[in-house]
Amino acid sequence: MAKRTFLYDEHIKAKAKIVDFAGWEMPVQYTSIIDEHNNVRKNAGLFDVSHMGEIFVSGKDALAFLQTLFPQDVSKISDTMALYCQFTNENGGIVDDLIVYKLKDNDYLLVVNASRLDVDYDWMMLNKQNFDVAIENKSDVYSMIALQGPKSAEILEQAGYPREKQPKTFHITKDMLIGENVYISRTGYTGEDGFEIIIRNEKVSELWQLLLDKGQTFGIMPIGLGARDTLRLEAAMSLYGNELNEETTPPEAGLKWTVDKDKKEDYIGKKVIQQQIQNGVQKKLIAFKMTDRAIARHGYEIYHNNKKIGVVTSGGISPTLNINIGFGYIKTENNLKINDTIQIMIRNKLYNAQITEKNFIHKHNKGN
Amino acid sequence: MTVKENILCSKSHEYVYEENGSCYIGLTDYAIEQLGDIVFVEMPEIGTQYSKGEIFGTVESVKAASELYMPVSGSVEAINEELIEKPELLNEVDFNEIWLIKVSAEAFEQDIKDLVSYDSYKKEVE
Repeated sequence: MAKRTFLYDEHIKAKAKIVDFAGWEMPVQYTSIIDEHNNVRKNAGLFDVSHMGEIFVSGKDALAFLQTLFPQDVSKISDTMALYCQFTNENGGIVDDLIVYKLKDNDYLLVVNASRLDVDYDWMMLNKQNFDVAIENKSDVYSMIALQGPKSAEILEQAGYPREKQPKTFHITKDMLIGENVYISRTGYTGEDGFEIIIRNEKVSELWQLLLDKGQTFGIMPIGLGARDTLRLEAAMSLYGNELNEETTPPEAGLKWTVDKDKKEDYIGKKVIQQQIQNGVQKKLIAFKMTDRAIARHGYEIYHNNKKIGVVTSGGISPTLNINIGFGYIKTENNLKINDTIQIMIRNKLYNAQITEKNFIHKHNKGN
Repeated sequence: MTVKENILCSKSHEYVYEENGSCYIGLTDYAIEQLGDIVFVEMPEIGTQYSKGEIFGTVESVKAASELYMPVSGSVEAINEELIEKPELLNEVDFNEIWLIKVSAEAFEQDIKDLVSYDSYKKEVE
């Protein structure tokens, strides 16, 4: 049976449409995906992301252990900083993408995808070897709320957490809010300024209601998974299961910028990833916009000169730009570049699209 | 909202009604509600002949594409051009005031035997 977050009753009260997502009954929309999307870009939105996983890693070998798991150099972040990482397997394939927060020396919090939580936990246990670390999955203890949009900082201030205490972009703070110990990070999955707040299950409804209440004058709305998907697509953030999977490496997924290629420590998949960075890849992730009137969807085929060269991983509308956009993998052998024309096969007809820069809306917050 | 008395609905959520010798085919309010924001409608070419049950077009919401099935056999006499530029009208206008296509039906009486009244349709889906 599907699991429910501790905010489920709030969603029902707000008349949300509920769907199954990664084994959870989650709100897909409250009013309209497009209205919700636009409201996050213009004002602010509140998301229930309690389905995401929280894994704590601590102990004297915590850093050394984490260094074996990611192509990223975890030693480069200081206390309270966040780092976007991927777990990679022996072939360089992505087991999951996640954010690693350094709370203090040898004390880390990993926020992972709901759909991969069990796999991630098993992966860490499998690779723990003789490292002196404690790996604690506390996903059943904590809920998580994302407050996103340009008005987020003002709303959080109104809710009792003043600006001067708020963490900077890609940082995390452990502090008191509504009389409760919480983790507040300045991260998100929308391309907007905003926060993600991790709080005990028992207190999440109170915080949800408080933020909606204090955010009212700023135009806050609860936002479902539908708009979460269109927001991240516009902001060019990958979705595990669509753009990322175990058969795809960070260089193929356009995540070379996240890899520390001079990292000294050995990590799982290093050989393949370094080789790909040096010699190039066979397939690569591209972003495109439709130039013909049609909508590309996950799984549609990509063509060039009447030959199949790839597949769409995510596609849909961009409510902000009012165009149809998407992502997909193509073979690199055709040397296609930005502005080149490709075709998408939609219901047995080819429609033109143009390869574009990856960030459709030119925002700079990267997160998960 | 007043619902036209002669509206008949299919299991795949299209409706059809006859007026002045032509049949008008549209999408039920339940289907529109389930789809959410409609962002694209792909229409057939005028003059195309379809059998009952055949796909005549596609309606796309933010989340997904759904195919449209002919509730009766017939050839397309007209399409609702307005929906090409403004698919969101489907969310904004009473469902039975906004048809998708107009067809000349060949065997209307025969074809509507498995369709149900709007009231029974609503009872089934809700």
